[in-house]
Amino acid sequence: MHSRQLSVFPVLAALILCLAIYPLPARSSTSQESNSNQDQNKGADTGKPAPNDQAKVPVSNIKSAPTDEGQLATVNNAKIPSYSKVYVGPIAGGFENYIIAGLRNKKVPLTVVIDRTKADYEISGVSDSEKAGWAKMLFIGSQNSNEQASIKISDLKTGAVIFGYSVHKTNSVRGKQSAGEACAKHIKQIVLE
Amino acid sequence: MSLKRNVVSIVVLLVVAAVSTALAGEKNAPPSQKIPKGAKVFVAPIEGGYDTYLKDAIAKKKVPVEIVASRDQADYEITGTSESQKASTAKKVILGNWHSREEASITVSNIKSSEVVWAYSVHEEASTHGKKSSAEACAKHLKEAIENQ
Repeated sequence: MHSRQLSVFPVLAALILCLAIYPLPARSSTSQESNSNQDQNKGADTGKPAPNDQAKVPVSNIKSAPTDEGQLATVNNAKIPSYSKVYVGPIAGGFENYIIAGLRNKKVPLTVVIDRTKADYEISGVSDSEKAGWAKMLFIGSQNSNEQASIKISDLKTGAVIFGYSVHKTNSVRGKQSAGEACAKHIKQIVLE
Repeated sequence: MSLKRNVVSIVVLLVVAAVSTALAGEKNAPPSQKIPKGAKVFVAPIEGGYDTYLKDAIAKKKVPVEIVASRDQADYEITGTSESQKASTAKKVILGNWHSREEASITVSNIKSSEVVWAYSVHEEASTHGKKSSAEACAKHLKEAIENQ
């Protein structure tokens, strides 16, 4: 009887662990990134524009670029000339610094300026960081944070938003740095070299 | 006479073409991303007093720049952000790790041209010496950037 109880205990423990870990691969796979234009969120998400917006925003305006991580969308195949002057606006948590560092790290041919009046384009956005809790540490043994950020690039002369991108990283190994570099990598795809 | 006039007009056209080409190229010319050795650098205040760690690290790693106390005296400015998270009880008990999590990102910009000339971000999941480690990582890479130009 005693040995039977002993054998049941590890089985129960394994079952609890399986239940705790099971949903994670489905939702994480370490990173999930998507890209959409701010003006065309619905269209980019579904592949079709909303019925009411159809006249304003034809679906053909969204051009996909090759990427292994998600759908990259730009408006009218918008491109940024290389070495254009770009201002990165303040983002909560100082995320703008990570974007600038990412632009440099990924060798994006843009000139970042700190004076908005001297810029041709502006990058603005939001970011959020969620630290690993005790449950994550206990069940998964991971202390990596979850990061999410969304940026948009607007032409300062015309005021048009020409590019949008959002990134969500579950278990981000390098925290905000990873998210900033993901943004930079996708910005590079719309810069004419 | 007409030959001379033709030559003059061709020369004028060539000059105009050269100037217009130069102007067109100037608009999107790649920036001269260089920080000269001995450049005067101002370290702007960073949350958590990270600028102090950065100044110490710049001195310790012998980065060839001169730190100035006033922005007016400087040619370059270092701005940035940093975040430090002390090890939680869960991290200590479950992972057996007492070290803090450090994140920092700095940007060096030319004050006159307003151009960002260098940027770097660092992430240390278990930093042995806390902010000091991350600041020294920034300083080390800044030194490499200046010396390997």
